[in-house]
Amino acid sequence: MNPTLVGYYTTKFGELWERSLFDLVNETITEVLSTTKLEKDQIDAIFFANMMAGVLENNLHSSAKISEMLGVNIPIFRIESACASGGFAFHLAKNYIESKAGKTVMVIGAEKMNDYSPEEVTSALVTAASGEEQEAGLTFPGLYAMMTQVYLDKYHATEEELAYVSYKNHFHGSLNDKAHFRKPISIQEILKSPYIATPLKMLDCSPISDGAAAVIVTNDQTIIKKSTHRVNILATEVATDSISLKSRKMLDELESTKIASNKAFRTSRLKRSDIDIAELHDCFSIAEILAMEDIGFWKKGQGAHFMKDLTTMYGNGGDLLVNTSGGLKAAGHPVGATGIKQIGEIFLQLTNQATNRQARKAKYGLAHNVGGSGGTAAVTILGV
Amino acid sequence: MISPVKTWRRQKETRKLLGKRGKILASTTIFIAGMNFKKNTPYPVVLVEFSDKKKAFGQLVDFEEKHLKIGQSVVAVLRKVRDSSDESIIAYGVKFRPA
Repeated sequence: MNPTLVGYYTTKFGELWERSLFDLVNETITEVLSTTKLEKDQIDAIFFANMMAGVLENNLHSSAKISEMLGVNIPIFRIESACASGGFAFHLAKNYIESKAGKTVMVIGAEKMNDYSPEEVTSALVTAASGEEQEAGLTFPGLYAMMTQVYLDKYHATEEELAYVSYKNHFHGSLNDKAHFRKPISIQEILKSPYIATPLKMLDCSPISDGAAAVIVTNDQTIIKKSTHRVNILATEVATDSISLKSRKMLDELESTKIASNKAFRTSRLKRSDIDIAELHDCFSIAEILAMEDIGFWKKGQGAHFMKDLTTMYGNGGDLLVNTSGGLKAAGHPVGATGIKQIGEIFLQLTNQATNRQARKAKYGLAHNVGGSGGTAAVTILGV
Repeated sequence: MISPVKTWRRQKETRKLLGKRGKILASTTIFIAGMNFKKNTPYPVVLVEFSDKKKAFGQLVDFEEKHLKIGQSVVAVLRKVRDSSDESIIAYGVKFRPA
């Protein structure tokens, strides 16, 4: 049997003052085992995606911490690839099963960010940028702001067109009871929000969130047959590129996204037009537009203009819905958890569990997870 | 973490950029910064391409608003790039000013 996704659980994302990082991890483990009716001794290995516990909490060696919490001695691996940690962990988990190292694995993503000031979190996040970028006082909003400036200038796009990304994703967030933000926002509110790094404003940027998410992947026939919901993993591909923005060929595209998605479409033997539902890495409004273009859904340079038509918004009758979870912008962005939540949202959609934001007859879905300013990218295609 | 040795090692490279001229490829003004730069906000950061096609990031200094545009000519200058550490190394590096 091929590795199959048989279960998903996510905590609520947001400012979770009562919970520590490992409270959130513990909740996801307990709940994902419960939803899949699995016992902990049926799990052969755990892949744990987390970026910042070492930098913020002075807390590494999480494999041993999870072993202690769960009372197991199985292989547990921590995967760090900045904001793409979740997508990378999922890729490794599937390959672990295919290499016959184990049959059933859990992939957890988690991040605790709100225990620290915005400046401390900004500093911790920027460890995923080059030393020179850090020394220049750049931040991640700053790096994406530079890409935005280049894009707007080159393609005569506007800040107003970008605002439609946040407008759409906040509407989707209002439909997701696990989302950090459940409030729809207007284009005017977005345009009037203060600048974080020009031309990106506060409501162009994903928030600082706490949260954890987990999935179960297995090729155990008995478990697959007993599972209530199951989704096929048609492709999970990762790619890398220079850590520094200045070493990229282009400033208005992410080569890592292009490479990973081209590989994923080749592996899955699907066409772009086959995809019904996608979770794209909208850490900033520009990022969803770049992703739509770099994955090949839209032509380069036209994304911002297309965005205004809102064809990818739930309820508008489009062929492709994007970020029904609310995306990073509204569902929240606990960085290690994001890649797993994206795969989980596709799982919910393909198994008709997405309740009030359920896509009609969704057969194929794509999750796209980016690390840093594009130094890493993971693209996963799922199908039923 | 910043260490005196790390600063010393990096400064051997940054000195080669001093006096070089180039053009702004991209710029942004940072309003929310990390801990080391919080007190300097807002400040502009530019990506510069030199005539030899090499590129560098740095903050723009001695500027007016009109200089914050793609294509603006700049020159690399020596500036203190952050506060001294407890070990009292002065972190010098490259910034740019309009040329």
